[in-house]
Amino acid sequence: MEKNYMMKGYQLHLIPTTKFKNITISLKLQNKLDLKTVTKRTLLSFMLVTGTQKYPSTQEFSKFLENLYGMKYGTSVTSKGKSHIINMNSICINQEYLPYQEDLLTQQIQMLNDVLNHPNAMNHLFNEQMFEIKKRELKERLIVQKDDKFSYSLEKLFEYMGKDQPLGISTSGYLEELDAITNEELFAYFKQCLMEDHKHLYVVGDIDDSIVSLFEQYLTLPEQNHTYDTSYHYQVYRNDIQEIIEEQDITQSKLNIGYQIDSEFMSHNHYATTVFNALFGGFSQSKLFKVVREQHSLCYYISSSYDAFNGIVIVNAGIERKDYQKTRELIDEQLKLIQQGKFSDEELDIIKGMLKNALTRSKDESLSMISLLYNRDITGKEETDDEYLSKLMAVTKEEIMAIAGTMKLDTIFLLTGRSE
Amino acid sequence: MEELYYQTLKETLYHEKLDNGLEVYLLPKVGFEKTYGLFSTRFGSVDTTFIPLGENKMITVEDGVAHFLEHKMFDMKDGDAADKFALLGASSNAFTSSSRTAYLFSTTSHENECVELLLDFVQELAITDKSVEKEKGIIGQEIKMYDDDPDWRVYFGSIENLYQNHPVAKDIAGTVETVNRTTKEMLETCYKTFYHPNNMMLFVVGNIDPHVTMKLIIDNQNKKHFDLPQPIVRREIKEPLDIKTPLVEKTMDVEMSKIIVSIKVNEQLKTPLEKLKRELSLNILFDLLFSKSSKLYNEWLEKGIINDSFSANFTQERDYAFIQMGGDQDRYLELKDQIYDFIEHIKDIKFNLEDFERIKRKNIGNFINVYNSPEAIANLFSRYYFEGIISLDIVDIISTIQLEDIYSVMKYFDLKYTSTFIVKK
Repeated sequence: MEKNYMMKGYQLHLIPTTKFKNITISLKLQNKLDLKTVTKRTLLSFMLVTGTQKYPSTQEFSKFLENLYGMKYGTSVTSKGKSHIINMNSICINQEYLPYQEDLLTQQIQMLNDVLNHPNAMNHLFNEQMFEIKKRELKERLIVQKDDKFSYSLEKLFEYMGKDQPLGISTSGYLEELDAITNEELFAYFKQCLMEDHKHLYVVGDIDDSIVSLFEQYLTLPEQNHTYDTSYHYQVYRNDIQEIIEEQDITQSKLNIGYQIDSEFMSHNHYATTVFNALFGGFSQSKLFKVVREQHSLCYYISSSYDAFNGIVIVNAGIERKDYQKTRELIDEQLKLIQQGKFSDEELDIIKGMLKNALTRSKDESLSMISLLYNRDITGKEETDDEYLSKLMAVTKEEIMAIAGTMKLDTIFLLTGRSE
Repeated sequence: MEELYYQTLKETLYHEKLDNGLEVYLLPKVGFEKTYGLFSTRFGSVDTTFIPLGENKMITVEDGVAHFLEHKMFDMKDGDAADKFALLGASSNAFTSSSRTAYLFSTTSHENECVELLLDFVQELAITDKSVEKEKGIIGQEIKMYDDDPDWRVYFGSIENLYQNHPVAKDIAGTVETVNRTTKEMLETCYKTFYHPNNMMLFVVGNIDPHVTMKLIIDNQNKKHFDLPQPIVRREIKEPLDIKTPLVEKTMDVEMSKIIVSIKVNEQLKTPLEKLKRELSLNILFDLLFSKSSKLYNEWLEKGIINDSFSANFTQERDYAFIQMGGDQDRYLELKDQIYDFIEHIKDIKFNLEDFERIKRKNIGNFINVYNSPEAIANLFSRYYFEGIISLDIVDIISTIQLEDIYSVMKYFDLKYTSTFIVKK
């Protein structure tokens, strides 16, 4: 099971297991989710793959990674309620599977240290050419994201629903702010992150305690003691629900609905909400899929999800425009049925079985294991996987009815074809 | 039961061919919670003209029928297969490609019951005219979802450009019209012909005891009756060498244009091993040319005619093969010219041994990494199995690839067989 160590500048979490043929190392940098810094943070995550002093270009750096049997190294950004996280993930073959012995693990650790402490930079500036390339890359990424209509319409829902809330801040930043960011400013921000971001580092694979001394030797970061808020309870007062309809030249309409609910990651309702969401629309055995798709043939996909860090529930579906009202009615009806307790014990058992399966499965995926642990580590929640599972399994029908009763329709965003 | 040990991967594969023709492969993964079962048939979207089992005349069914059948397979006489898996705590799914249809479950408990259920639901077809009608609306929405997806449109368009007759150029789900014309009888005919155990393969990977699971599968199959298998006669597809059209531009409501340059690869290789080596060689070639470590890639990147969405791929199955290169790009005409110029002069490119060996190491690492994920293991196995390859052999075959093999696949880059599809703003 997980072992924790306080290192210089970061918390080290070891998860030893013999089942994988590789070693996953994940460093997470956490700071406040803020309109003013989110674009910079995303651009910074792009810069963190452009090499080191030793390998001062993407090209040289990639050669180095390829030589280590194609070590995978990448960065990404996520939001956790009020926090913004830069993830640095590296996955390398366990040297036991190599034809010739080579010390890959030490190089994997050193690589992280080099990226952060010996970056591809000089005189307080990132490598200028890399900076320009990555700026353009992020720009194009932000533009092209809009062409995925599913995620575009979901982003729009968050933007309208989350106005003046952490929910409304885009995780990957803003196109209109990108041009103004200078190399100097970004490098200064990078240094600030090293000082201020809260850092957790996870290692999953066939390792033992001796790896701690490797980290002591090869990876040190500036000490810091900042803490950041994460999950919160989204609450906005509205007289009426917000309904936004946008038209584009598309054939299928994308329906996105956001609800307030009296729950978030740290609240005692969290478990009931998780089970409620699974019953409502989390799986293909859930009510929404069974009724809207299977009974009424109105869509191919429909599901609900619970964002515990913002404390909301959302529903999305791909439908015909003419079926918009009917789909909404059916969704409302399913919610009412749950509120009234109109679901069988068998339905509930199935749903709990699906949740159990999903949770157990994550033990076979190193990054999922890390993600579950991280959610607890940044919220200070003391709970094991088994405790979490048994709390979910203990949720009663009455608790589900009660939490379903707190669902409040907040915002609807419909992306649809042009009307004739 | 045959037991095969793979030294490099440290994995053991168990195999048995059953009396009814079904091929069964089991791969235990010690320490894993997850078990993943994949039951596949050699029946995909290209199989639309064939002689039905027990008959003697060639028939043609509607496009998209394999995919339609996949949707209806979950209906059972006494309920829905997905619900039954859910009762066992398992999730289930299915997918259709141009050459196969696969049904799968993923579970962390009741492994053996899940294996039996997988066999039972696929080995029974319970459809009615009404249930077939009802599915049409759902598939229609699935098709429309892909219609609005510019990545799918450019990917598929670039394949359509290459083929004059081959059904690989038809959308896997068919069109709203072909779906609406599909009947219960068509689905039944396809089912009878292509879902015979002799045309299928079962692969289970994860938390299993191979002896117990194999016995259970044998007992399950012995209880069922199947007609004697017959070789399946599919229409031989007469595809001319030439491409269908050199250039198509399609306007969509997108923020950034997309381009794919595709090349038709006409040479038909005789053995599975030759085909595999061609594929591995092309993949190494693409890495040498277009991975982040390559000179050419970085030149194009600096010119601004590609970005990190750019990729190059080789696809081959059964009797067709093609290369695709492209990505998101507003300066698509410049990129097109650059790629055509590159194709014309590819023979002048020389690689050094150091770069080649490094890329080989990367590819070996990638194939070892697969063996950390039961899903990835099963999907890789099923994909290569119907091409006559046991995927656990691949990692050692990569080591045998030489630099000459890389130069020899350059011949497939031929402007005569090159086409371009553009999705523009």
